[in-house]
Amino acid sequence: MSDLDDFKATYFDECSELLSELEEQFAAIEAGERDADRLNAVFRAIHSIKGGAGAFGFSGLVGFAHAYETLLDYVRDGRVELTDDVVTLCIKANDIVADHVSAAKNGEELPAEYGHEEKVRFDVIARGGSGAGSEDDDMNGEIIEEFDIEFTPVRVELKVDEAEESGEDDAFDAPPLEAAPGSWEVRFTPFRQLYARANDPLLLLRELGVLGEMSVRAVMHDVPALGDFEPFGVYCSWEITLSAPDLTDAAIREVFEFVEGDCEITIVPLGATLSRSVAPAGMPAAAAEPGVADLLALTEDEVADVAARPAAAAAPAVEEEPALSFADLADEIKASAPPRPVAPPPAPKPVAPPKPAPSGEGGEDGGNRSVGVQSIRVDLDKVDRVVNMVGELVITQSMLTQQMDETLRARYTELVRGLEVLAQTTRGLQDSVMAIRAQPVKSVFSRMPRLARELATKTGKRIKLETIGENTEIDKTVIEQLSDPLTHMIRNSADHGIETPEKRRAMGKSETGTIRLSAEQAGGNILIVVEDDGAGINRERVLQLARDKGIIAPDITPTDEQIDQLIFAPGFSTADAVSDISGRGVGMDVVLSNIKKIGGSVHVRSWTGKGSRVTLRLPLTLAVLDVMLVKVGDSPYVVPLSSIVETMQCSRANFERVPSGGQVLQVRGEYVQTIDVAQRFELPTQTDPDDRFVVLCETEGSQKVALVVDDIIGQQQVVIKSLEENFERVDGIAGGTILGDGNVALIVDVQGLRATQFHKNAA
Amino acid sequence: MEALAIRDDMGDKTAVVGANTLQLIAFSIGEQTYGVEITTVREIRAWNGATPLPNTREFVRGVINLRGTIVPIFDLRARFGDGQTSPTKNHVVVVMSVGDKWVGILVDAVSDILTVSRDDIHNVPEGNAIDTELLNGIVTHDSRMVGLIDLHAVVSGAKMDG
Repeated sequence: MSDLDDFKATYFDECSELLSELEEQFAAIEAGERDADRLNAVFRAIHSIKGGAGAFGFSGLVGFAHAYETLLDYVRDGRVELTDDVVTLCIKANDIVADHVSAAKNGEELPAEYGHEEKVRFDVIARGGSGAGSEDDDMNGEIIEEFDIEFTPVRVELKVDEAEESGEDDAFDAPPLEAAPGSWEVRFTPFRQLYARANDPLLLLRELGVLGEMSVRAVMHDVPALGDFEPFGVYCSWEITLSAPDLTDAAIREVFEFVEGDCEITIVPLGATLSRSVAPAGMPAAAAEPGVADLLALTEDEVADVAARPAAAAAPAVEEEPALSFADLADEIKASAPPRPVAPPPAPKPVAPPKPAPSGEGGEDGGNRSVGVQSIRVDLDKVDRVVNMVGELVITQSMLTQQMDETLRARYTELVRGLEVLAQTTRGLQDSVMAIRAQPVKSVFSRMPRLARELATKTGKRIKLETIGENTEIDKTVIEQLSDPLTHMIRNSADHGIETPEKRRAMGKSETGTIRLSAEQAGGNILIVVEDDGAGINRERVLQLARDKGIIAPDITPTDEQIDQLIFAPGFSTADAVSDISGRGVGMDVVLSNIKKIGGSVHVRSWTGKGSRVTLRLPLTLAVLDVMLVKVGDSPYVVPLSSIVETMQCSRANFERVPSGGQVLQVRGEYVQTIDVAQRFELPTQTDPDDRFVVLCETEGSQKVALVVDDIIGQQQVVIKSLEENFERVDGIAGGTILGDGNVALIVDVQGLRATQFHKNAA
Repeated sequence: MEALAIRDDMGDKTAVVGANTLQLIAFSIGEQTYGVEITTVREIRAWNGATPLPNTREFVRGVINLRGTIVPIFDLRARFGDGQTSPTKNHVVVVMSVGDKWVGILVDAVSDILTVSRDDIHNVPEGNAIDTELLNGIVTHDSRMVGLIDLHAVVSGAKMDG
C-alpha cells in the first residue's frame, strides 16, 4: 500500500516537472518556434502524464489527456495545422491538465464536465483536420477508458517515408502496407517470461477478437513427447488471421503492448508469406527487451527507444519494410535533422519526421534542453545534512588555519602545506555541495505565465509576460520562498499596474501591457526584477490611504521613494474594489516578509505613467554567509559582508550631532544614520571612543546606516544557525553562528536595527 | 481534583518506574532544592560562559553552542526574582527539552536523582504568584521540600516588552 503511495508521490513529482516543461515549450511555440522537437516534447509530456494517470486510475485526467494527445498527434504529423487558435487551445488545455493533476493529487473530484468544452473542440479540430479519422478515434476511445500505456510513437516513426513523400492532405495515415487495409496475419510466439509475468495468451487472443473477425490456429508441432515435457517450457505458438475494415497493424500491436519483449509478434498483411517472418534476427533482439514492468520505469526517451526497437527487429520480416529498416530510418533522420528552416509558422505541414531517440542524439544538440542529463532523486534532507556538515568542516578548517602561528609555520612546513590543500579542497567541496542545491529559477518562473493568462482573463486586460534569465541558479530553499512573492508581485502589476486596453491606447501605449520577469546574478546576490509598463504607483492615493489607515502620521511628508515603499506596509491596499485578484490588503507585505525571512531585501521604483519596477535582492545561498567578525562589549557579533560598504576608524570619522541626541555620520557629502551597537544592545563597553570602528552598511533601497562597534576582528565564513529553533526571534539579531573556538556569535540584523531605531526615536 | 490534574499533566511524558512513581533530577539554588522530571533532561554540563542576547530579560543568560545547535540558557535564580547568579566553573547547566525546543537552566549544583510517589505531590500553596506560576507542585523527600519546576512557565516571557 505504501509502495503505491510512493509511486504516486513520484508520479506527482514528475507531473509537476512535466507541466513546467509544457509551459516552457508552449512559451517557445507561442513565440513562433514551431518545430517538431518542441511538439514532440509536448506530446511526450502529455503522454507520460496520461500513462501514469492510467496506472493509478485517474480516469478524468486520462480522458482529458487522451483527447488532448490525439489532437497533438494530429498536429504533430501535420494533419492539423498549428494555428494560433490551436496554440491558445493547447495552452488552455495545459492548464486543465494541471488542474486535473492537482485534483488527483489532493484526492478531489473535478466536475465531470470540466474541460468538456475543450475536449469537444479537440475533436472538432482533429476531425476537421483529418477528414476521415473517425474510425481510429472511436477505437482508441474504447481502449483508452481502461489502462492505456500505448507507445504511439512507433506507428509514426514507421511512416516517415510516407509523411515525406506525400506531403499533401490526403496522406491519411496509411503506409503502402495498409493500402489494402483490413486483413492481417499475425504470428504470436510467447516466450517463457510472458508466462512468468502472469500474462495469459487467451486474454490477448480475446482482445484481438474484439478488433474484427478472427481465426486462430495453434502451432503445436513443437510440443514434445510427454517424457520430455518440461513443466515451465513454452511449446505453443499461434497463427491468427484478422480482418476488419480499416484495421491497422498499429491497432493489433497495441493489443500486445503489455507483453512487448516477452513474445515475438509478426504482423503481415494477408497474402504476404509468413514463412520468412520467423526471422532469426527477431529472437535475440526481442529477448533482450525489458519487460513491461521495466518499461514503466524507463524515462520517456528510453521508452521511445524501446518502443522503436521491436519494430526495427521485426523489419526484415516484411517485404516492404526493408526500406524502413532502422539504419535507413536513422540516415533519413540525420539528413533532415540539421536545423533546416522550419516551414513558415502558419502552415508547418511537412513536419520533420519525429526522431527516434537512439539516433536523435546527434541532432538534438541544437536545443538547450537537458535531454541527456542523468539525474537521481535525493531527499532534500539528506542534501541539507551534507550542506550542514560541509559548513562545519569549512569552519573547523578556518579555525585550524587560525591556530597556526608563525613559529608553528616555520617548524611544520608539511603541516602548513597540508592545511593549505585542505583549505582548497573544502572550498571546492563546499562549492560542489552548493551546486547540488542550486536550481534554475525556471521552476518558479514557469508557473507565472499561467498566472498572467488567468489575470488577463479576469481583468479583461491584455498582458504579455516576458521572462529573462530563467536559467539563473539559486539555492533551492531560496527558490521555494520565491513563489508566493512573485505571485503577489505579478498580481499587483496586473491588477494595479497595467491599464485597460482602452486606457493604454488613449495614452499612446500598445494595448498589450508587458510584465517582465528577470533574474540575474550580481556579485553574491541574485536580483529578481518584476517590471511592468503600466501606470506606475499612484503616489497621491498611496499617501492618502496610508494616512487614512494610520500607517503614516499626518504631519510627516515622505519622499517619493518612501511613498513607493509604503505599498509593502501590512494592511495596505490601494484597490478601489476588493477583487479576488488582489486588494485584500495582504500581498505586498507578504512579499516583504518572505524575502526578509530569507535574508533578502525588496526595493520598488515607479515612474508615473510609465510603469514600476520591484527588485528583489536575494542571497545566493542560505547555508554559508561571508561575514565580518566584530566585537561589541565583550561579545562577538558578525555583520553580513554583503551589506557592508566600508569600514573606518572612529577617530577618522566625521560625526555630527542631531537634535534627538543621536549622531549622524558624514560620508562623502552624505549624512548617514548612526547606531552605536553597544548602546543599542545595552552592552557595557570600555573601549576608548576613538579606538572604536564604524561599519558602514547598505540596506534596502540603498539606504545607508553606520554601525559603531568596539573592534573589527576579521572576515570569515560562517554557517547560519537559527535562534528560533530553541528560542525565539530577538530584535536586531538575524540569527547566530558558531565560531571556531566553539562560542556563539550573533548575526546583526542591519535592516532590523534601523527599523527599531526609528521606533525608538518615534516613541 | 488539582492533584489529579497534575498527575495527568506529567503522566504522558514519564518513563514510569513503578506505575505511580516519578523520577526527578534534583538541583539546588542557594539552600533550596528543586526538581525536574528525569525524562526531560538531556544533559548536564558545567557552566562555560554564554553569549549574551540583547533585548531579552535578565534571566536569559545568553546562548551556548551545544554540538552545533544554539541553545538558550535561563538563569533560574534570576527567574525566581532573586537577582542574577554569578556563575563559576562549579555552576551547572541542566539541558532539558521543553516541547520541541532545548533549553538550558543555570543552577548552583545538581544533587541527586530522587524517586518519589505521585501520591506525595502536594499543591503549591496559594499566595505568591511566582510560586504558583513556576512550580507544578511540591514533594517531600527525606524531609526536604522539593519544588517541581514548570519548565514551560520558566522559559516563557523571555523577550523584552517594547
